[in-house]
Amino acid sequence: MQGSSDINQYREFARKYGISGVPESVTRLTQLVARQDSCVDEIVRVIEKDPALSARLLRVANPRADDESEYTVNSVEEALMRHGIGCALLLAMGTPLSLALIKTFQTMLSLQLEGVDVHQLDSLTGSHMHCSIGFAGKVTGKVHLRMSPAAAKAIAAGILGLQPSDINDIAEIRDAAGELLNIMTGNFKSNLCDAGLDCKLQPPQVGMTEDCETPVEPGGGLERLAFRAGPIEFFVDVTANPWSDD
Amino acid sequence: MAIKILSVDDSRTIRLIVGKAFRPYDVILLEAANGEEGLATAAREKPDLVILDVTMPVMDGVTMLTKLKEDPALKAIPVIMLTAESGRENVLQIARLGVRDYLVKPFKEDQLLEKVGRCVTLEKRPATIAPA
Repeated sequence: MQGSSDINQYREFARKYGISGVPESVTRLTQLVARQDSCVDEIVRVIEKDPALSARLLRVANPRADDESEYTVNSVEEALMRHGIGCALLLAMGTPLSLALIKTFQTMLSLQLEGVDVHQLDSLTGSHMHCSIGFAGKVTGKVHLRMSPAAAKAIAAGILGLQPSDINDIAEIRDAAGELLNIMTGNFKSNLCDAGLDCKLQPPQVGMTEDCETPVEPGGGLERLAFRAGPIEFFVDVTANPWSDD
Repeated sequence: MAIKILSVDDSRTIRLIVGKAFRPYDVILLEAANGEEGLATAAREKPDLVILDVTMPVMDGVTMLTKLKEDPALKAIPVIMLTAESGRENVLQIARLGVRDYLVKPFKEDQLLEKVGRCVTLEKRPATIAPA
């Protein structure tokens, strides 16, 4: 971890370069998860103060429920006790990732992207574009981006300022999808590293697949996020295991 | 006179976006897909500005920046980092090596042009005369 002079100097550079950070609750949560001796009560308090984090944790802890009425785990504390602190890490990663995605759509595609409940989107079936990027270090895991070929084409066209009909090269679509993945993972990696969970990103893999199952990191958890911007819909799966230190 | 800008990024998408941003300006855009290629291009072409990604295969942006700043013939070239990584350690390391500016992806063309405009003078490309 860095000293206060480094932190002050970073703040100075961040101000100079116009770099903005993640919400305070997420920074605090990541720091608590990074400390292996944090008490669960402290983590519970941080999550309970943020309704969005609480709702996401309960969704992660009730993976088979279609809505809240089917939840078997109903409190933040119970979710953490049953599923481990790895669940809290997923929340800490998902927020900067979602913010980066929303900002990417706003700035580079001029589209309003919204996070939606996974059940609001049609499940992916059959051949779809699958991009994944692994990270390893004090936390290991993978981020998977899954979308239909049409959505991938629309995203590539949007990023490049073209019409989907202008994009005929599959390499351009793959490169744009890979870059979208790079942007969102780069943003959450910064948050993890700042909290002491140093990790390195592996090269992204982009291709078509018919396999819709995302394997869970051994000892870790999985969170599926869903996003929509007009006709563009896609899923992001995040798997992570803290303290793997491989 | 046209200015030379070197864009070093492994993503063709980003290089295309950067190229599109400079299309209206009198800029010769040079491209490289990693730090090694970037360093070789910088040594050969002596660009007026380098726009540099961090995470790249073969040679990453931090290594390229370090080598650039160690080379007396290249160290004065201003560098703008263009990266998705804004972590404390990364920013501190890069800022201490000496960069002119730092732009976090995702970015708007306007932001890039504003930061570049602080380092070099961007002039509109001379209008081409339409054939009679």
